Amino acid sequence: MNEKILQVKDLHLHFKTYSGMVQALRGVSFDVYKGETLAIVGESGSGKSVTTKAITRLLTQNAMILRGSIAYKGNDLLKLSESEMCHIRGNEISLIFQDPLSALDPVMKIGRQITEALRVKKQMSRSEAKAKAIELMHSVGIPDPVIRYNEYPFQFSGGMRQRIVIAIDLACEPELLICDEPTTALDVTIQSQILELIKDMQRKRNLSVIFITHDLGVVVNIADRVCVMYAGKIIEVGTVNDIFYSPQHPYTWSLLSSMPSLQSSAKDKLMVIPGTPPNMLHPPKGDAFAARNRYAMTIDFEREPPLFRISDTHYAATWLLHPDAPAMTWEDAKHARGIKGGTQA
Amino acid sequence: MSKKSRERVLKQAQASFHYETPNPESVLKEKLPKKQFKMNQMDAYLYDKIFETEPIGFFRDAWLRFRANRASLIALIIISLVVVLAIIGPMIRPYTFRTQHTEFGVLPPRIQGLEKLGICDGTLVYNLQKSELEDYGDSVVKILDEYIWVYRGREIEMVTVKINMYIRRGAQDHYFWFGTDNIGRDMFVRVWRGARISLLIGLVSVIINCFIGVVYGSISGYYGGKVDMIMQRITDTLGAIPFLVISILFIMVLGAGIQSFILVLILVNWIPMSRMIRAQFYRYKDYEYVMASRIMGAKDRKLIFRHILPNAIGPIITQATLAIPGAIFAESFLSYLGLGIQAPEPSIGVLLAEGQKVLTSSPHLTLFPAMIVSILMLAFNIFGNGLRDAFDPRLRGTEQ
Amino acid sequence: MAITLFIIVSICFFLIRLIPGAVAGEGALPEIRIALEKRYHLDQPLWNQYLIFLKNFFSFEFGESISLYARTPVFDVIRTKIPLTLQLNIYALLLTLPLGMSFGVIAGLKKNSLTDHIISLMVIFFISVPSFVFASLLQYIFAFKLGFFPFLLNLKPGWSLDKFSSMILPILALSFGGIATITRYLRSELFEALNSEYMLLSKAKGLTQVQSTVRHAIRNSFIPLCNVVVPMFTNLLGGSLVVENIFGIPGMGSLIAQSLGASDYYLTIATLFFYSIIGLTSILLIDLSYGLIDPRIRMGGGKVRE
Repeated sequence: MNEKILQVKDLHLHFKTYSGMVQALRGVSFDVYKGETLAIVGESGSGKSVTTKAITRLLTQNAMILRGSIAYKGNDLLKLSESEMCHIRGNEISLIFQDPLSALDPVMKIGRQITEALRVKKQMSRSEAKAKAIELMHSVGIPDPVIRYNEYPFQFSGGMRQRIVIAIDLACEPELLICDEPTTALDVTIQSQILELIKDMQRKRNLSVIFITHDLGVVVNIADRVCVMYAGKIIEVGTVNDIFYSPQHPYTWSLLSSMPSLQSSAKDKLMVIPGTPPNMLHPPKGDAFAARNRYAMTIDFEREPPLFRISDTHYAATWLLHPDAPAMTWEDAKHARGIKGGTQA
Repeated sequence: MSKKSRERVLKQAQASFHYETPNPESVLKEKLPKKQFKMNQMDAYLYDKIFETEPIGFFRDAWLRFRANRASLIALIIISLVVVLAIIGPMIRPYTFRTQHTEFGVLPPRIQGLEKLGICDGTLVYNLQKSELEDYGDSVVKILDEYIWVYRGREIEMVTVKINMYIRRGAQDHYFWFGTDNIGRDMFVRVWRGARISLLIGLVSVIINCFIGVVYGSISGYYGGKVDMIMQRITDTLGAIPFLVISILFIMVLGAGIQSFILVLILVNWIPMSRMIRAQFYRYKDYEYVMASRIMGAKDRKLIFRHILPNAIGPIITQATLAIPGAIFAESFLSYLGLGIQAPEPSIGVLLAEGQKVLTSSPHLTLFPAMIVSILMLAFNIFGNGLRDAFDPRLRGTEQ
Repeated sequence: MAITLFIIVSICFFLIRLIPGAVAGEGALPEIRIALEKRYHLDQPLWNQYLIFLKNFFSFEFGESISLYARTPVFDVIRTKIPLTLQLNIYALLLTLPLGMSFGVIAGLKKNSLTDHIISLMVIFFISVPSFVFASLLQYIFAFKLGFFPFLLNLKPGWSLDKFSSMILPILALSFGGIATITRYLRSELFEALNSEYMLLSKAKGLTQVQSTVRHAIRNSFIPLCNVVVPMFTNLLGGSLVVENIFGIPGMGSLIAQSLGASDYYLTIATLFFYSIIGLTSILLIDLSYGLIDPRIRMGGGKVRE
């Protein structure tokens, strides 16, 4: 349980573009323990998807990893050759995308897409692979798997397609599953089905899951621990309880208060985070969130805050945790905005 | 980027990357000034940052992109050059395209400046019997080679000579920049007149595309339903008939010539444009701003021309430009077969047909018209591609 | 397709009637004129003429050639000429497809590299320069100056190396345009396919770049090729007219020009008819094959079940 399956240390990733170097990841570090679900939360552009692509080394040609390591079961993935990496992908680490329709090859039967990895990488015979695929389809909840084995992606609905993608990913029995906003493109009802499926798969196969999302509701549902990302850095990390009950970073406060809950009444104002995310071509000096932060201090504009330790499980990178900073907690913040008590988050 | 250059850039970036990750322990040990911990943004209303860049107009934006593409720029310059030469070319020579100098038949090109360099100096290389050499008198410029040819058991002394054709025919004072054809007509004038015709055809094609194509496509796309279905049936049928077949049908009735050709263009040239316009209409018809206008009482015509069509200006210009080479090709093709513009009017096709017959002996008759038509079509194609890239940069791929 | 054909045929019919002096030349003696009219059914009401015309047409009786090959049934005339034209075109097609596909794939895989730029340059060149210019160029350089191939087509019956080498230049001239079209199309399709999400999933599954490219990207990019092959083939047919002219090939191409010039309208109409048939059949074939290859169309957007 306490064994770490993935350790990302101090990852710096820049993209070379026509306009300059975009600093997508600026020192990202996190760990994933075996069997747990880690959620990575953040706005668009915060670097969440880039992290997943970096782990699986599926980045575009203009990506430059300037510093850092990604240790999977002790081996630095960044130092592996491409063919070694091909072995890791699918067998050890797998990735689910956001849009299941474009992720599936439109002119190949889905049965073949599921068995492809099995036949190519594990050299399984046709009948063996087919049997395995049908069993997989059954376990992800696709009805009539034998018939639907020979159908094409366009004959399935969105939720079904996502199940197929999950089946494809689980075919070679990986140990780490990375889900990049898999439910964003789906209806809410289907969303919960897929989440249940992922949780189910995780239990049955003792998977470790990294779940990327911008939806805090999903996080509560599925995650054990949470990382909050902003402007290419992890600004807060902790268990679900830590984050939802005692968040320390003003950005996390803003995220939590911009979600309506069943308890909020019609009179409550929905909090909005003012301003826009910073331009990653020229990241601002100091704390990147400072410009939009109500509680910003002078030092926030000067120096970057280090990741202060709050407890064994809870860390946050904000100057508010410095002993010299004025005392400010989540409760204070909620009061200041006139939010009623409880987990209005 | 190639692999090597990528690695080089990576190493460079890694070397120049100096970033110190802030360390909590060392920070806590530091003595930071207390006043740095004052909150001074609490009541400020944080505005969204003002959008810093200035909006540029659509055409200016496209022009900037177009200008960056050197190939298209060169193509545009070439087209302009050709247009200018087509207009003034026939005028700057003392002959018209019809003036014949039968005694000066089939002279090679001779240009005042270049002849000193040995190119275009009005000479041809012949293999003659040595005995015939005297006949040629002063027109012999240089003897290149002497050899023996065995013919029917006899040995004949042969020479390879360079003959100045102008002197031979007595045309020393004349300069024919592109040479002459078999009845002595000045090729320079004829070629540029032919270019004029090609350009005119291009212009006609653009007009047809813009008027018939755009209007047809707009009506078909805007009204949809039955109107659209019928209109599409018509274009599908018309479009399915091979161009050649239609042209010949017209020629059978109206005889060969430019009228038939233009009529055929009027009948079919606009079909791709109308299809594209129709697709655009289908895309934009359901946008909310159109519905909003309609609710406010805008008439159909206004909706079509003022609201939806302007979205398609980019593709319209591109499509019209890219249709020009097709029209030019079609015209020269038909003229070559004798089915289009007829001699003596010198369309490029006619010139090529005439040149074909004497290809081996007088290649210059084919060379110049071929060059002109190829350059024209190439330039229009590159220009059209550049326009397409300029108006819709999304179509250009990004690196992967 | 049948409708189009029908329309063409009917137009042909009415056109013939429109052309003055189509059947009997002017200045013919009255008796001859009456006899000719009787022969060609011109004395009957228009509607009957139309029906007779249609009936004849579809039983492949096109009447007889009036002037060019006097008194020979048009059908026979065409029958001798078609094989040559078809041969030329089919050989050109056989050359175009593999070459075009290879260039397209290479250019698509190595986009923006030097190889790609060279190929793109070649493509633009081949698309712009008209086929007859090419044909002349080829003839001049390779047949005349370098003497590698003969000028004109060798018409000896049977098969021989000479005959083959005489066919090379015309086939080449015809195929350049098609190669360029296919290359250009395949290049952009392949590029799009390589950047698509299913490539990403395939690599995430653990397939190597090569495996993913071959199994997914190339398959997907070849499918819309059918769209391009049709217009290309019709262009090929048209282009063969001129190429036949240049290389002295006595096929359908020369027939059209000559029959028009000699006002041999029956012949012209028949050749047009054949051109139309060939063109439209190819369109039909391609449409059908497209349905076979692309499963989305084959199943007609089948039931989407939950």
